[in-house]
Amino acid sequence: MSDFVEQCRGEWKRLGVPDPLAEEMAADLASDLSEAEAEGVSAEEFLGSSVFDPSSFAASWAAARGIVPVPPSRGNARRRPFVLVAFTALAAITVIVSALLLATGEPKLSLATSRTTPAGPTRSVVHSVSAAAPVEWILLLLAVVALGFAAWLWASSSRSRPPTAPA
Amino acid sequence: MQCMVSESRRSQLLRGVLDLCLLAVMDEGPAYGYEMTKRLRERGLSIVGEGSIYPLLGRLERDGLVETYRAASNGGPPRKYYRPSSAGRLALALGVSEWRAARDAVDAVLAPVKVEVAS
Repeated sequence: MSDFVEQCRGEWKRLGVPDPLAEEMAADLASDLSEAEAEGVSAEEFLGSSVFDPSSFAASWAAARGIVPVPPSRGNARRRPFVLVAFTALAAITVIVSALLLATGEPKLSLATSRTTPAGPTRSVVHSVSAAAPVEWILLLLAVVALGFAAWLWASSSRSRPPTAPA
Repeated sequence: MQCMVSESRRSQLLRGVLDLCLLAVMDEGPAYGYEMTKRLRERGLSIVGEGSIYPLLGRLERDGLVETYRAASNGGPPRKYYRPSSAGRLALALGVSEWRAARDAVDAVLAPVKVEVAS
């Protein structure tokens, strides 16, 4: 059982748990496990499935005490890349589409105006060849900002990924 | 298969009230981690399964629902004892009330169900 406590200790060290707190938790755990063993209670009966995953056990205990940040749940960790991929794809498609619209823009609207002058009413028809352009520019701008945000999310996501445990 | 489903349901049911159970057993008298599991086991609650009581005790401590102190156990090394704080006692009272309301509502739904166990 000391193996289990030692693996927990190693995980706390890796997570940056201050030594006095890690020692306190390790001592409590070791005492409880010894007492359980003396009473014929197996570690599995006492700790449940945690006994097979000391790293997760140690991390969740430290996180519950507020010593280290809460590890992301597996469900969230799995879901996040899909959401990020979808967001990035949407932003990229919007950039491409708005750029194409700007490049090959045709008049989307025709504006007709009329006004009255002292000499009499005159009517003029104004065709705006770039009536839709402001909308496309705004779309392009938003899409570029979204793409930049997605890039930042990818970068911070790869930074916060925990290092792979040695085999 | 049936046994696994049953275990999973039991585990899920317990997960929501395990903090209350811990507060209740330490309200009987200060206790350290393993001592609490013994008190629970004596009442037929052999807990854990999904984890252990330590993260839960850690959360109760972080939330200020328990107070802790170190003292020597019966001839053994000093142990960390837990007891409910005043906020913990209040949380226990509220939690028990919620649990009873939920239990009664579920009972009302499940009571008419006739359970037949095939021999």
